[in-house]
Amino acid sequence: MLRSDHILATVEMIQKENLDVRAVTMGINLLDCRGGDVRETCRRVEEKIGTVAARFVATCDQVSQKYGIPVVNKRISVTPIAFVGAGFDRHGFVELALALDRAAAAVGIDILGGFSAQVEKGMTATDREYIASIPEALARTEKICASINIASSQKGINMDALALIGQTVKDLAEITKEQSGFGAAKFVVFCNQPGDNPFMAGAIHGLEEADLVLNVGVSGPGVIARALERLIHTKGRDNLGLDDIAEEIKQTTFRVTRCGELIGRKVSEELGIEFGVVDLSLAPTPTVGDSVGEILQILGVDVVGAPGSTAILAMLNDAVKKGGIFASKAVGGLSGAFIPVMEDAVLAEAVGSGALCLEKLEAMTCVCSVGLDMIPVPGSVDADTISAIIADEMALGMINNKTTAVRLIPVPGKEAGELVSFGGLFGASPIMPVRNVGKSSRFIAWGGRIPAPLHSFKN
Amino acid sequence: MGKQMVMSVMSKDRPGIVADITGVIYQLQGDLADLNQSVLCDYFTMILIATFDDSVTPEDVVAGFSHIQSETKLEVVVKEMDTPMEVAKAKRVKETYVLTAQGKNKSGLVHRIGLFCCQQGINILDLATTLSGDQYTMILQLDLSRVKSVDTIRTSLTGYAEESGLTVVLQHEDIFKATSEISLF
Repeated sequence: MLRSDHILATVEMIQKENLDVRAVTMGINLLDCRGGDVRETCRRVEEKIGTVAARFVATCDQVSQKYGIPVVNKRISVTPIAFVGAGFDRHGFVELALALDRAAAAVGIDILGGFSAQVEKGMTATDREYIASIPEALARTEKICASINIASSQKGINMDALALIGQTVKDLAEITKEQSGFGAAKFVVFCNQPGDNPFMAGAIHGLEEADLVLNVGVSGPGVIARALERLIHTKGRDNLGLDDIAEEIKQTTFRVTRCGELIGRKVSEELGIEFGVVDLSLAPTPTVGDSVGEILQILGVDVVGAPGSTAILAMLNDAVKKGGIFASKAVGGLSGAFIPVMEDAVLAEAVGSGALCLEKLEAMTCVCSVGLDMIPVPGSVDADTISAIIADEMALGMINNKTTAVRLIPVPGKEAGELVSFGGLFGASPIMPVRNVGKSSRFIAWGGRIPAPLHSFKN
Repeated sequence: MGKQMVMSVMSKDRPGIVADITGVIYQLQGDLADLNQSVLCDYFTMILIATFDDSVTPEDVVAGFSHIQSETKLEVVVKEMDTPMEVAKAKRVKETYVLTAQGKNKSGLVHRIGLFCCQQGINILDLATTLSGDQYTMILQLDLSRVKSVDTIRTSLTGYAEESGLTVVLQHEDIFKATSEISLF
């Protein structure tokens, strides 16, 4: 029997706190779409996506309407495209990207991820062609996101790939300079990239997955923030300890996750597709009140980046996982709090005021998911410095057995402090200063690999 | 399966009413199938379904209740059910929605929401209200199986909410089960 107080608590969460399901992502295996040439492969890719995802968006909308909970993004992730296009040259990969973009538009999804490769140990000739295709592929498509896994706790860091990626990020920004380097916002570099992450830009349909799978990303920093404000208001600050705060986060996350799982399973039932995982992440949006930074402020730092920010984030991230893991049958993906600068108004403000620097953000990524995300940096920062920033972040992931990622946007022609805005979910922020530019080239020039860490030898 | 009867009892509340009522049914060798009881502002009410031998009449049951020795009088109505049913196999409503309406208290709120449901072909399965200060809260469990489009209902509800000054939310029951119960799937 439903109790009135439970009903009212849930109503509050849905109505006043903007509870939503952030992303329902359909993973599609494209390995069986390989044809004799690029054109045939593209045709099969379009045909498969068009067939299996024909009812996807409509079904999400229908379930969302029935339950009165918005599904904000409907997305598709595909098999890392470097596997699908093995043997293709860079032009072939661009054609594949265009085919994916047409397929994405045809089925009406928001974004398609998986224009990707996995090169954490070594690169094939195909991988190099794929990397060379990224700037043009992303510049000429609208809905395609790319990602590359260049490091893992098991294999170490591929420094040859890393050197190429710094330049790729620069080229991407340059080729899309009319849009302030927006191309770089659609490309993310990973260590320990999960194969079932529903969030973009890093969603892929891992090789270990079934033919079709449905993953759900629940979010809700706004829900957590309002729950904490209510708790503090009701109980009084002096009567609460951080363990009470952690408990509230846990309980709220439980409820948010249950809603996400319910919606995901219903969509999956309707479509007859296996349900994969719930990704328990706090993914902020630029909307006021939907910020991870705001939670940090509620919990006691006046600005994000002040001492204590890392500790609070660690507690938040852990409590979110604890609440969510019990709520869901299968948890996966990234599962943690995101701190994407441009997508979080409070973080962007902290960058603007000089309170939050790149080094503090790096420290914060040690205790949360996912990494240095959506950070605009001056266009004058050189490729090797970008590679070196990525290398540091990859090392954090490799040593700590966690996923880390980097999405930097070197904004062409702009310097630190100037504002850059991509609009919509991609948000806006002042450009973050980068210190010690141009001082890491000798390191990047080594190439080769950073060997796998000691704790990878478990066999 | 014998004779199935539905009984409604109301009284000023006191300890022992449940024991008294069920004692009467037990003495008449009735088999109690289901009951629902509530106390509101010191008044007790209960609705029960029980099966008796064919020889037992509703009048016998009423007589049994009238012999209860108590300071508080029991108001009793007993009826034989038109179409007897097995409680255990009673159809569960598939499309149960929960509607909450909250706002400043004024007369006619429940009537208007009742009228709204009636006009939309919605059956009210359960209704509970609370008054806290001048804030009135109604929680209704609704059967929307006769409704063609939940969307249309939501649109009409928006109009109703504006007109009545209430904050109204309609959600599927599954959402509340998911957020408040441990095992759903």
